[in-house]
Amino acid sequence: MSGLQTIIDNANGMTINRRKVVGMQITKNEIPRLSTTPTKNPWQISLNMPSSFEYANARALMESIDTLDRTGYQDITFSNNACLNWIFAYQGDLTLTDLNTITVTQFVGNILELNVNLITEPASTIIFKPNDLIQIGTNPYPFTVTEEVLRGSATTVTMTMSRPNIITAAIGSNNITVGNACTFRMFCPNMPVYKLIPGGYTQSNGVTTGNARIEWSNSFDLYEYVGTS
Amino acid sequence: MENIPAVANSPPQINFAEFVKLTIYNEYANVANVTIVTASSSYKEETLPDGVTYTPLGGLLAVGTQQKNLRVTSADTTIALSGISGTVINTVLDNNIRGSLLEVTRGFYNNSDVLSNSAPRFTGIVTSYNIDEDRQQKDNNFTVTINASSYKTVLENRKAGRRTNKESWQSFNSSDSSMNNIYSIATQLFSFGKDKAGGTAGGGGGGGTESVGGDFNANKNQRK
Repeated sequence: MSGLQTIIDNANGMTINRRKVVGMQITKNEIPRLSTTPTKNPWQISLNMPSSFEYANARALMESIDTLDRTGYQDITFSNNACLNWIFAYQGDLTLTDLNTITVTQFVGNILELNVNLITEPASTIIFKPNDLIQIGTNPYPFTVTEEVLRGSATTVTMTMSRPNIITAAIGSNNITVGNACTFRMFCPNMPVYKLIPGGYTQSNGVTTGNARIEWSNSFDLYEYVGTS
Repeated sequence: MENIPAVANSPPQINFAEFVKLTIYNEYANVANVTIVTASSSYKEETLPDGVTYTPLGGLLAVGTQQKNLRVTSADTTIALSGISGTVINTVLDNNIRGSLLEVTRGFYNNSDVLSNSAPRFTGIVTSYNIDEDRQQKDNNFTVTINASSYKTVLENRKAGRRTNKESWQSFNSSDSSMNNIYSIATQLFSFGKDKAGGTAGGGGGGGTESVGGDFNANKNQRK
């Protein structure tokens, strides 16, 4: 298991930051003047780690963290932990079989158009609810749906996504992945260092085999690696 | 006057990105031999009305302020580029970067993050660059800063410093004989009606614009 995935699976707190780059001024008569820049708007996830890892059991994790350092990235997901997969779980009414028939028609700006021609559900069927994740093809860049999307009667559905299309590769006819099955490509610019503190004493035949727990110097502030999109 | 549609009528919010184009002239006598470098703060590649495609991976870090006045104004601006990849450093070191044309355009996006129009913000000439290495503990970053001046500033850089001798004057006009006799009179003492011993510089001449009184050597001072 990758280092960052282990951090995700064991974190005891998570902060998600998807704020955009804005300029804001409040005028003398208190009217807000706003500007935004359409950036790649990367995901930022801050994870707090407990100091419960025993050193003897965390050496692989420490090596993985040290190898990644502040520049290496890994693909992480919220689906492979039974205690965690409710985060970003798909909220719509479609079955996995139906979801697998959906393909991308086009994605211009932040407007995504999907081909739902093969879905025979009633028009009132909810395909997506706000905050549902969508990943296009194998591109590890999750987008979230900003509004409820119904099946309707047309062959396509259109929805506004949380950020514009940052994928440079052709995505027409690509399938989609939804919910917690999506993967995030993240790296940790502030990769914390660890400190060994006394605790978790173990011995074997009277010989000490371990007496330290791992304390992290900071939270893991993960940042989406969008450099290759 | 050109209006910028996206900011007309005082909309409550604008959505914009900066686009920077650097046109490097590789040959002095051939303006068609150019290298064009682009960068933008947008999320995707965009092709602006000038036909140039601006890449979002160009390493644009910051665009300095651009002074906008109703009248023609001398103004400078700076462009900061990431030097981490090395290509930007190579661009400024291996090309004739000084004298390159720098154009900054602001692109306006609609609510769907689709580029709707653009407007030029700055046009000028690169006057200098600098490469900074900022290493602090384990952080090591390079920044390439390009400084550019507007055309008016460049035009104001007139050639000055004319000296009162034959060579200096004839460097501007080879037939100018105004200073041909300057060497023969340089050591002469001129009297303009007052004794030198009791006079002061400029004495007698009264309100002189040059030090016509006294020792003519004073006239060797540089004129501007």
